[in-house]
Amino acid sequence: MRDVVIIGVGMTPFGKYLDKSLQDLGRQATWNAIEDANISPKDIQAAYVANAVGPQLIDLKGTIGQHILTSAGIFGIPVINVENACSGGSTALRGALLDVASGNSDVALALGAEKLFCGDTAKSAAAMANGTPYAKFGFMFVSLYAMNLKKWMRETGVTKEQFAKVVVKNTYNGSLNPYAQFQKAMTIDQVLNSRVIAEPLTQFMCSTMADGAAAVIVCTEEMARKFTSKPLVKIAACELISGAFKMPGEPDVAITTRAAHRAFEKAGIGPEDLNVVEVHDAMAPAELLVCEELGICKKGEAGQMIDEGQTDLTGRVAVNPSGGLAAKGHPISATGLAQICEIVWQLRGEAGARQVANAKIGLAENAGGWTMANDNAVCAVTILKR
Amino acid sequence: MSKKQIPIEEGLFYIPDSPEKKPCLIGSKCSICGVVVFPKVSVCANCGKKDITEEIHLDGEGILDTFSVVYAALPGFEIPSIQAYVNLKAGPRVWGLITNESGEQDLEIGMDVELVIAKVKEDAEGNEVMSYQFRPLRASSKGGQS
Repeated sequence: MRDVVIIGVGMTPFGKYLDKSLQDLGRQATWNAIEDANISPKDIQAAYVANAVGPQLIDLKGTIGQHILTSAGIFGIPVINVENACSGGSTALRGALLDVASGNSDVALALGAEKLFCGDTAKSAAAMANGTPYAKFGFMFVSLYAMNLKKWMRETGVTKEQFAKVVVKNTYNGSLNPYAQFQKAMTIDQVLNSRVIAEPLTQFMCSTMADGAAAVIVCTEEMARKFTSKPLVKIAACELISGAFKMPGEPDVAITTRAAHRAFEKAGIGPEDLNVVEVHDAMAPAELLVCEELGICKKGEAGQMIDEGQTDLTGRVAVNPSGGLAAKGHPISATGLAQICEIVWQLRGEAGARQVANAKIGLAENAGGWTMANDNAVCAVTILKR
Repeated sequence: MSKKQIPIEEGLFYIPDSPEKKPCLIGSKCSICGVVVFPKVSVCANCGKKDITEEIHLDGEGILDTFSVVYAALPGFEIPSIQAYVNLKAGPRVWGLITNESGEQDLEIGMDVELVIAKVKEDAEGNEVMSYQFRPLRASSKGGQS
C-alpha cells in the first residue's frame, strides 16, 4: 500500500439554503477543494460521494454523485455513491484513501453533500430518523443520546453544568468559525435555561438540521508536490467498523473505543500524542463521553477535564475547535468530511482565530446509525499527521 | 367503521388470547450455544451458523437500565414520551416506550418493569397501532410497592 496525503480540502458554510440545490452545494465544496489542492478537475481519477437522505427529500433518487460531479465538470471517471448514515463522509474518505493507496488511482476525491431543509420540517425529521429500523416504533436519536448520557452521569458523577460547559466551549469555538451555522458564543445559564428536548439534554446542547457539503482530495505522497506547496497532511489511519452484538460474558467495549484502538495501532501513536480532535457530538455533552472512550481522559475524569479547560483551544488537547456539531450544524453526510477539513486546516496552521498552536497530530471520530444489536451502525476514526 | 387494532410490526411480540396469559416478545434462541436475541434472527450472532435458531417467547420482565423524558416526537407519536432501555431477565437489552400513564416520578433506574402491549399512535384511517411498551412495577432498590 502506498502512503497517501490530503492535498486539498473545501466546504460550504453550513446552514439553511432553500435557494441552493444539492448539486450547488456539492459543486461549491468540490471546487473549493480543487482550488485548495491547485489541481485541475481532470486530475481527479476516482470519486466517492456520500449522501444519506437525498432520495427521501429531493427529486434525485439515485446516482447522486454523478449528478453533482457532472455539474462540477467531473465525469467519465469511476464514481462510487456512498450511504453510511452520519458516517457517510468518513466512509467516502476511506474509499478514496484505499483507491489511491492500492495504486488504482493517483488522485481521488471524497465528497459528502446533504440537503435537509425542504420546506417541511416534519418530513426532514422523519428522513433523518430513518437511519434505524427503530424509527417506526418512535425511537429518536436525541433520546438515545439522552439515555446513554443519563446513565453515564450516574456512573461518573458528571453534572448538567459540566454538560453546559461543553456547549460554552464549542459555541465560543464556533463563533470563530466562518463555516459554522451558529457563530454566537453562549453562557452556561443560556444553555441550561433553554427548553428541555430529552432530559438531561436542552435545546442548545443539541445539533441542528443543516444543508452543506465538504470535500477532501487525496493523492500519493510521491506525487503531491507536483500540485501543491502547502504543508502535506498524511492519513495515518482511517478505520471503519460496524456495530456488533454483545455476547453474554463479553466485556462491554464501546464501538468508539474499538475503532480508536485499531486507528491508534495503525498510526503507531496513542491518545496522549493528539493535539487536536474533532468528535461526533450530535448532542454536545456526548463529547465528554467520547473523549473518555477515545482514551483522551481517564474513566471518570471527563468532568474535571472540561472544568479545567483541558480541551479548550489553548488546552492540552483542543477538542472540537470547529465548534462541533451543535455549533457547526449537522448535514449528515458532510459532517465527517467537515471534521477532516478542520483537522487539515489546524495541522497546516490555516485555522485563523481558532488556530491551535503548533498542532501536529489530529484525530476525527464520526459515528452514525443505530441497529437492532443496540450499537451504532458505524464508527470511523481517522488520524492525520503533518 | 369500527377501529381496528394493528400490530406495528408482525413477528415482534405476542398478544395473549386470554387475560390470564401475559404478553411477550418474540426472539430467537440458538440450538447450539443457547444465545438469545431480540428481535429474532435466522443466523446466530454468536456461532455464525444459519438455520439453527428457534423462535422463542421472551418473558416481559426486566430491569430499567436507563430512560429519558422526551419533549420531541416523530409524526404521529405523543409528546412527551418516556423512552427507555430495559435489560430483560431473559437476556436481551431492549429499547421501548414507557406506558403513557407513568410519569418521571414513577421511574427509577434499576427498578422492575413489565411488558404490556398498548397503543402507540393512530394510523391515517384512525386504527390503533399497537406496540410493546414497559410499565414500572416497583423500585427494586427500595423494595416497596409502587
